[in-house]
This record gives sequence, structure tokens and C-alpha cells, in this order.
Amino acid sequence: MAIGLLDAPYGEDGFRTCEVTGLRIHRSAEVPVKMFGLTAVVALIVGGIAALLVALTRWEAVGILQPTAFYKYLSLHAWNLLIFWMVFMEVAILYVGGPMVLGRKLPAPRLAKVGWAVMVASALLIDYAIWTTTYPNQEPLLTSYAPLKSSALFYLGVDTFILGTVVAALPFFACIWQEKSEHPDRTLPLVTFGAFVTGIIAVEALLGGLITYVPTFLWRIGLVGHIDAAWYRQMYWIIGHGTQQINLAAMVTVWYFMTHLTAGAEVASEKVSRGAFILYLFFINMGAAHHLMADPGVSASWKMWNTSYAMYGAVLASLIHAFAIPAGLEAGRRKRGLGGDGWFGWLKTAPWHDPGFSATALSIVLFGFLGGITGVLMGQMQLNTMRHNTLAVPGHFHGTVAVGTTLAFMGLVYYVIRLIFRKEWVFDRLARLQPYLYGFAMSIAAMAMMEAGILYGVPRRDPITTSIPGTQFSFSAASPMLAVLGIAASVAVVAGAIFVLVAVGSLLFGKEARMRVPVPLALTGGDAPVHRFSMRGTLAMCLFFLVVFALFYGMDWMWLSRLWMFGG
Amino acid sequence: MSSPLKSPEGVWWNWAVSRQERTWLGLALLWCVILFGWMIGWRQLGAQNPVGPTTRISPDRYRAEVEAYEKRARRTDQGLVPPGVDVYVGAQQWTWNGLPVVLQAGKRYRLHLSSYDVQHGFGLHRDARTIEQFNLQVLPGYEWVVPIDFKHPGVYDVQCNEFCGVGHRTMHGQIIVE
Repeated sequence: MAIGLLDAPYGEDGFRTCEVTGLRIHRSAEVPVKMFGLTAVVALIVGGIAALLVALTRWEAVGILQPTAFYKYLSLHAWNLLIFWMVFMEVAILYVGGPMVLGRKLPAPRLAKVGWAVMVASALLIDYAIWTTTYPNQEPLLTSYAPLKSSALFYLGVDTFILGTVVAALPFFACIWQEKSEHPDRTLPLVTFGAFVTGIIAVEALLGGLITYVPTFLWRIGLVGHIDAAWYRQMYWIIGHGTQQINLAAMVTVWYFMTHLTAGAEVASEKVSRGAFILYLFFINMGAAHHLMADPGVSASWKMWNTSYAMYGAVLASLIHAFAIPAGLEAGRRKRGLGGDGWFGWLKTAPWHDPGFSATALSIVLFGFLGGITGVLMGQMQLNTMRHNTLAVPGHFHGTVAVGTTLAFMGLVYYVIRLIFRKEWVFDRLARLQPYLYGFAMSIAAMAMMEAGILYGVPRRDPITTSIPGTQFSFSAASPMLAVLGIAASVAVVAGAIFVLVAVGSLLFGKEARMRVPVPLALTGGDAPVHRFSMRGTLAMCLFFLVVFALFYGMDWMWLSRLWMFGG
Repeated sequence: MSSPLKSPEGVWWNWAVSRQERTWLGLALLWCVILFGWMIGWRQLGAQNPVGPTTRISPDRYRAEVEAYEKRARRTDQGLVPPGVDVYVGAQQWTWNGLPVVLQAGKRYRLHLSSYDVQHGFGLHRDARTIEQFNLQVLPGYEWVVPIDFKHPGVYDVQCNEFCGVGHRTMHGQIIVE
């Protein structure tokens, strides 16, 4: 079976031509894409099971786990979903965006396999270290904030995972190098360019990870005597937020790819979209400074300097993509005669029944409204104090990495099953429903966390907040919100299980895919430049978004201004 | 066709950008400048800023400072009454040294925050009111002095909100403002 899954009708030169995209795909690139993709789905299963237990604990009326078990599952949830599911997917995306889109072999394919093996072994080591944590070690959660000690095996596993990821990324960079050496005057396709920027951001983040975790490992085994908490936080967030920036850049790249593949989107402006990726490259890592907004270790000037010039450089880039991607869809569909009537006909006639499209479209909208807006609010030094360390923080990042990245990656996996594994989806109807169910339920869960955090100040990372030993004070007023969180998150886990059922079921039992080119992709719409077609529907939606953004911004500042004076 | 999967032909840098896209670029840039300016402006003119002088200090020395302060402070049934405007809080697994403390409304204090061991989170909540809460990070090795002035009398609860080990959820203290 495993050999069958890794097989495809290659020619003698090892290439095949994809009947849908027309891309020339070499075996050396396709096999690792399958390996990394499958591993990512396994991590999704582990992290998803942990998610259910975490959610049913924070729904305190159920309260399924005791505190020690809660922290184990919370750590497993974070590492398996936020790191393993995402990073394995992202390496696969690099191989799709590089060699597959360019029609090249993957250079040094053995490195890809070595990287994969090291990453898998490290992931198992990290999970083992979390699972076997005993006092005086503490569960690491995502951040493993020193000087609170975690198992030495955990830090070691993180170091080797980072090294494995760097090794796995090398063939991608070699592929870009070969392409540019052979064709110095040929511009990289936008998807390849986005993958390249993602790769560079990834290497920056991973180097930051080694700077953090090698000394931390040495400290834990006693070779280094002291570790400074402020130093740790500043270094940690190079990788801690850096990995989220990889998720963001990879997700945006997937958005361009999937809107084109499923619905006929074109690039509204090469210059503008590439410029936005360049903004990510320059500014996004510095934006990680917003994790230190409520910290004593860095000065106010440092905080404002780094989060202002850098973060708004990156926010600007995201605002640009927020327009460019739907605009490319709108203009591309109008050009192909699929624009329908009026301002939004292009959207009404879009393939909403295709989970590849619906997952992508929902990901774009939900990421913007839930993850994007709250991210900017938290990135303002003063507003940050109302959200820091509360449930509003997980609320924010479930708005980015769950309804944003995870949903986009699910849409991509549906197409990896069809185009790369060459299998039809089983449970077709469930597959069509799945992105809506997941998007809806996870949005409710994220909003419940935001409300519990900002309205009641419910702490994150705390399994029991409705009764606190030794005091009358508690967060029991937030109980209804925590119940909403528990119910909505459970539904989201069910939606995740449906995704796994369809994905794994299709691989095992799916019929061989009949390759149909989606209608929008089959049409070209002639040679007219895309910028001549109307993007008014997109502009209207973006203006609506900006108004909502401004309202939340104003409301947060109004709330803050009512607080007691601090800092002056 | 301008496909994201194909290399654009020719000098794409000179291709025109749609008027609607240019409009959005202008608005987005303007919004980012507003965000930038407002944060800087609030630092100058606003009354809520997570800022204040920070000095490096060993956890042992900070503990000695807090203990000396506790000796100087007056003890009442409700808690410590600070001798001056300096209020010391020493975070420790899993207690807040120096709390409960009794302060006066409308008086500007200097709140000293640091930890004896690991990282903690200083989450402050006014009574059981919604919205009225704020959160600061507390680090060992750094003494952070944050000016603070409570406008309204009431009971302000302090709950640790950074994971600090098994007893994390029991780490509670109070500031009573009269």
C-alpha cells in the first residue's frame, strides 16, 4: 500500500505532466511532498485529540482533566498542531512552490529524506519528553519560559527538530539557486517567490531557535550556570513568533495558489503582490517584539520602535494581500466571463461546493476579521496590557493559525489528495461540508476566548479559574463564555475528524481520480491585462473590513482610557 | 494570462496597477500611519502605559528589599500600609509577597515588581467588573517600577496569569484601595 501511494505514472525521465495544472512534476519532488504531507496529518490527529481534552477542561463545568494532565495535553496540543502539523506542511509547500511549479527535479532528494527522518525522530522525542514530564520538571507548553525547568530531552528534541527542518529546506534553496543560475533573466512565478520568502523567513526563525534552545539545553544539563529570563524571552520570540510568520507567509502563498487553481484567480498586480512579500521579508521578524509589550526587560522606546516601524510594515503587507487576492479572483473571473451580475456576482458564482475553494475563501475572510484585527490591537503597546496572558491571546491565535492557516492547509490537502495522490475524495458530501463546519465552530471558539479574556481577564494556561483556593475572588462570571468555548471547540474537533476521515479514507479507499480541469482554469479569457477589469466588489469588501477594524480599534482605546493610571 | 504559477513575461514592473488597487494601497498606508501615530501619541499624552524604570537585581537582593519594606510598613487587618509611595510586590511560587496591601485612591504610588524564582504574570482585576483589568509580566532578575494611581476605591484582585508550576492557579493576592 505504502509503495502504491508513493507511485504515479512517471515517464522515463522521471517527470509526469499534471493533467489539471499542466505542471511538470518530477518523482524526486513528489515523493517527499507525500511523505511530509502524510506526517503532517498524523500530527494533526495527535494535536486534535489533545485539543478536545484541553477544551473540555477549560469548559470548567465538564473539567475533564486534573491540572497536571491538563498541562501535558496543552503542551501536546501546542507542539503537535502549532509546530509539527504546520512545519511538515510547510516543507511540503516549499517543494510544491519550488521544484513542482518550476518543473524541476528536487536537488539532493536524500537531504529531504534525512531532514524528514530527523524531524520525525525529534517530534517523537518532544512528545515523549512532554508525556513523561515529572516534578521537578514542568510541562513546557509552547514557550518553555526559562527559568522554569522542563525535561532536558525536550530542549534536545527542539534543537534537533530545528536542525532537521533546516536540512529539509536545503534542497528547496538549491532548486531556486539552479533555476536562477540557468535562467538569470526569468522572474520566479509568484507562488515560487512566496515560497522563497517563506523559506528565508523560516531560516531566520530557525536560527533564532538555535540561539535560544542550544544555550537553554546546556543550562538544563548544568553546563551553563544561569539563564536570564528577559534574554530568553527576547530570543525565544525570534522562533516563537517567527514560526507564526512562516505560517502566515506560507498561508498567503497557498491563498494565491488555491484561488487560481479552483476559481480562476489571476495576479492583480505582480509588482504590488511581490512588494508585499518583500515587506514581510524585511519587517515581519522584528514585529515579534510585540510579545514583549508588557515586559520589564526592554525599554518603552525599544518596544515602540520595533513594533511601530516593523510591525506596521508587516501589517501593511497583509492589508495589501487582503485586497490583492480577492481582487485577483474578481478580475480573473470577470475576464473569463464568470463575473455574474453586479458588484458581487463573481463571488456568488464561485465554486463554493469545492472544499478546496471554500476552505481557502473562508480562511481569507476569517483570518482577516478574527486573527488580523486582534493581532494589531495586541500589537499596540498600551492595548496589549488588556490582553497579555489572558485567554484573549489564544483567542487571537486561533483566529490566525486555526481558522486561517489550518483551514487553508486543509483546502490544500484536499487538492494534494486529488492531484498528487491521484485519488477521488471518499464521503464527497462530508468533504464539501467540512470547511464550513470547521470554520464556523472554530470562529465561535476563538471569539469565546477573546471575550473571556478581554471582558473578564480569564488567564490562559489555567485549568480552573472559577474557584481559586483561599479567596472569594474567581472568574466564575465567565462560565457561560467558557461553556461556549468548550462546545464550539468540540464541534471544531469533530470537523477536524471529518477532515482526517476524508483524507485518510481517500488515500486508502479512494478511486483513482478522474482528472477534470476546473472550469475557470480551462478558460483563459484572452490576453487583456487583468488590471483593466473591475475590482469594485473587492474594494467595497475591503472598505467594510477597514470600518470594522476602526470600530474595534476605537472601542479598545475607549476601554483602556477608563482604566486607572499606570506608567504615566 | 497572469498566473501565479507562471513567470511573468516582459517588464512586469511597468505594468499598470488598477485604480481600485491604488486606492486601497493609499488607504492601507494611511491606516498604518494612524496606528503608528496613535501609539506614540498615547505614550506622550495618555495615562495608561506599561512603562517605568527597570533595573537589574539579583532575586536574593530583591527579596531582601521586599523584606526590609515589609518591616517598615504598618500592619493592619486588611494588609500592609506602605510607609511612603513605594509599594513592593515580590512574586514567588506560589504567593505574592507584600500583598495584600492597602492604598489610597487618587495617590500616585511607585509599584515595584519582580520575582524570586521564575516568570510570573501580574493580572490585576477591579472587583468583579468586566473590562477593568490589566496584565504585566514579572521576571526574576529585573525590578520594574511602574507608577500607578487608582482613581476608584475598591478591592483589586491579583491573579498570576503566567504558568509558574503546579501551584500556579492558587497564586492570588489583593490590593485594597480606600
